[in-house]
Amino acid sequence: MQAIILAGGRGKRLGGLTDSRSKVMLPVAGKPMLEWLLNELEQTKIKDVVIVYYYAGERILTHFGSGRKFDLNITFSKQESDRGTVGSLISGHSFIENDDRVLILNGDNIVDSKSINSLLKVKGNGLIVSEHNTPYNFGVVELRGSVVKSITEKPDKNQIRSRIVSTGVWLLNKDVFEKIKLDFEEGQTELSTSISKQIKDGLKIETVRTNNWHDVDHPWDLNTLNRYLLKKTERNISKDAEIADFSTIEGDVHIGKGTIIHTGCVIQGPVHIGDDCEIGPLAVITGSTSISSGCRIGPYTRIRSSLIMRDVQIDSNCSIHHSIIGPATSLKSNVEVDASTVDKIVRNTHYHIRRLGLVTGEACMLEQGVVCAPGTMLGSQVYVSRRINLEGEHDTGSKVIGGT
Amino acid sequence: MCGIFGVTGDSSTTELLIRGLKRMEYRGYDSSGICLVNGKKLIRKRAVGPLSNLEPLVEDLPESECGIAHTRWATHGAPTKENAHPHFSTDSKIAVVHNGIIENEVELKKKIKSLDEGIKFESETDSELVAHLLSIELKNSEIDIKIAKEEDILSCWKSVLDKLEGSFALAVVINGRKDFILFARKFAPLIISHDGERGILASDVSCVVGLTENVFYLNEGDWGILTNSEAQIFNVDGDLVEAEPKKLEWELGEAELGGYPTFMLKEIYEQPRVVRDCLRGRLSREKIKGFSIPFNPRLLRIVGCGTAYNAGLLARYYIEQLSKIPVILDHAHEFRYGAPSGPKSLVIGISQSGETADTLAAIEAAQERGYPTLGIVNVESSTIARNVDSLLGIRAGPEIGVASTKAFTGQVLGGLLVAMKLGQLSKTFHREDLSYFDRHARMLPTSMERMLNDQNIKTKLWEAQQYFVGKNHAFFLGRNTSYPIALEGALKLKEISYIHAEGYAGGELKHGPLALVEEGTPIVVIASEGSSHKKLLGNAREVASRGAKVIFITHQEDELAESHADLVIKVPRTHDLLQPLLYNIICQLLSLNIAEERGCNVDRPRNLAKSVTVE
Repeated sequence: MQAIILAGGRGKRLGGLTDSRSKVMLPVAGKPMLEWLLNELEQTKIKDVVIVYYYAGERILTHFGSGRKFDLNITFSKQESDRGTVGSLISGHSFIENDDRVLILNGDNIVDSKSINSLLKVKGNGLIVSEHNTPYNFGVVELRGSVVKSITEKPDKNQIRSRIVSTGVWLLNKDVFEKIKLDFEEGQTELSTSISKQIKDGLKIETVRTNNWHDVDHPWDLNTLNRYLLKKTERNISKDAEIADFSTIEGDVHIGKGTIIHTGCVIQGPVHIGDDCEIGPLAVITGSTSISSGCRIGPYTRIRSSLIMRDVQIDSNCSIHHSIIGPATSLKSNVEVDASTVDKIVRNTHYHIRRLGLVTGEACMLEQGVVCAPGTMLGSQVYVSRRINLEGEHDTGSKVIGGT
Repeated sequence: MCGIFGVTGDSSTTELLIRGLKRMEYRGYDSSGICLVNGKKLIRKRAVGPLSNLEPLVEDLPESECGIAHTRWATHGAPTKENAHPHFSTDSKIAVVHNGIIENEVELKKKIKSLDEGIKFESETDSELVAHLLSIELKNSEIDIKIAKEEDILSCWKSVLDKLEGSFALAVVINGRKDFILFARKFAPLIISHDGERGILASDVSCVVGLTENVFYLNEGDWGILTNSEAQIFNVDGDLVEAEPKKLEWELGEAELGGYPTFMLKEIYEQPRVVRDCLRGRLSREKIKGFSIPFNPRLLRIVGCGTAYNAGLLARYYIEQLSKIPVILDHAHEFRYGAPSGPKSLVIGISQSGETADTLAAIEAAQERGYPTLGIVNVESSTIARNVDSLLGIRAGPEIGVASTKAFTGQVLGGLLVAMKLGQLSKTFHREDLSYFDRHARMLPTSMERMLNDQNIKTKLWEAQQYFVGKNHAFFLGRNTSYPIALEGALKLKEISYIHAEGYAGGELKHGPLALVEEGTPIVVIASEGSSHKKLLGNAREVASRGAKVIFITHQEDELAESHADLVIKVPRTHDLLQPLLYNIICQLLSLNIAEERGCNVDRPRNLAKSVTVE
């Protein structure tokens, strides 16, 4: 059986973080989300995977190449244009031969292999569902026993009949697939709407429940996912890493090759530090922090519960927590980030975030002594001059020079 | 360049030979052929044109355990079936494949005629005479080839090799002997592998990736025999060499397309990784490390050809600017036959493959004069890499597209590292300069990734491409550090789109080339830094006022360009020294788009070869 992974979308709500990479390629706990998903698939009996790409697809091709790192045969299919989930499915479909069923997954979700294996045991059509606190953002599923009674895409908040939502992991018979294709030709571009119609006509879809489904929609979801995935980190310090004396490394800490930990650092797991980083001296990195390859963390800097992407440079005596720092961003010395409970309203939906500090896109530059209020969000290439008290949201390319 | 490939001890020889030929396609070729040892006679199939012309001919061949194959890039004689390798001896009992040039061809042909009048030359190639010479040697030694011992055959093989002058990688099979292949190399690349059951020989590491994990790299003048059980290698003096196999540096996926439509596009998109890999462990805030400069020179000489020469030109600007040491830059072939004089200097050779015949010869010429040498090379197992006093590997990974892209980026960074290190040695490049540079260098890969995915740039590139529709010539202008990029931009366009393009320094415009500008001539102007930038804007205006269509490539903070050009393409701002690399990527993409629009094969442009292993 073949799996199709839909990885064409950008992830617009992640702002500058997806300027030059799609959501599926954002690194979380040391590797792109899509790689985590492929690792889960490796633990199922699925052997053939089609990755459907579109936005910033070259990065996907460059990273996954011919699939040599995986126990899977990976092929790639370019979506012809940005035309919704069904459009991408059709792009991937030409690769399916004589298979009576196909597994469909979203590249920007992570679901564990156990749930996928349970789904594969279902006879006929199947769907993985999960409970969610904000079901109105998803396809809400009403069940009769374990069979789908109806699916309502993003219903009105007041008309929620269930907290069960579709994870978008489907197991579909070829005839169902063919009908979806016909619908598409008539202009129906949403997968779940097309399936809903078939359900009304009597299609039976068996469900499998999971507690291990993670969806990333907004930047702060990345921190949650990072925390979850870091739990899978085991203590693993590369032989090619240089760890100076008088450094304390406790708990489940991964340190990649070529990384230098200078003297007097304290690193408390779960923490993932990639290859070729330089940390310290006397830096403190604690709980649920991922630092991607090529980063440099200066002396006396403290980082907690944060996601630091590739090639980030944080100079001395900074304090960063509950933050997401985009690739190649540079924080000069004495940058402070405040984190606390943040309420945000995005497209008429209210989000209550338990803790959030700073979010930056790619290649931002914060000069010395900038202080960031909780929930500060920057696009890419934002420049912030010295000792600014930064808050709110700033678009890509903006320069913050006076006070805000 | 010609590629040779051979297999012994494997029952699916034909399949392996074709696979090997496919991997060598990128080297450039115009005909191909194979020869199998089987039963009563040698089976030979040859075809002109792409491999797809050869493939149907080999479909139903009987199984064989021993065979050789060749892709030919014509040097002696036109690309015809008669000139395609393998070549036979007149009795069709010996087949040879050859890469290189036999310089005493004329004398040897005369000699062969005088020794045996029955010998007929079937082709115009120099390669054929190797088969005839071996045939004569075997006849004279009066051994029965079918049962002869290996050492007897080897002594004949050695006396043939002693007669040859010039450059060669050779492989020979003999009728009735499916148990061995004879080989030899001198000034042309050849590698050998043997796992105890199967022996393989090939011109190029990328042909054996995935087939074997360990290879022997041969030295100049090495020769020997590949049997079903082992590889015996002898040196030029005839002594048995105890060679240690080396582990292959590259993985299979790196030499494959991995979903990309062309290698060139794949390699352009790999450049952010090349930057990271090339600088890894070499650049820090305090010092440049990880390679050595064998000699603290008062004069430098840089040699290279093609793209590597352009990278060398940029390196010259860097070195002169950062270390104040004067640099003489030469095309490797000009250096080699010139008579370099002056004080003892450090010679830097730049080559992607590390097998470029001219660059290799220039390095050898330098060594003969007692000059210390440094190589900036991609293939770290190559001849140049092994021969220089100090090596700076650019870590770009296999480059398959004939038009060099990512290797240029790596070569420029290599030159920059050397410049900074020399600057530190001569105390003209300070720690704070390095620390400032380092911060920007760390951001460079992300800047590249941003521009490679910038929708606005993609649209601009499409608009720029329209300027070239129906045009037969174009210019690239630069000044100072953007001048090498202009040369490289023009070279790329020539190589893959066959549009005649020239790169000029802006200041040179009025001294001639301006006469060629006419209504609609596309001119790509590449921004430079500091005061020369304003001069370049003036040049843009000069050509625009004569009807040229000006495409100006600059960075985001440049606000002057718009008023001087028809089209402005802006890339992220980075350190002055790194900025040319971003402009170059725009030129690469522009050439790629234009070439594809014109229906050209960007990975295998006509008449060109990947690594030029003949002079």
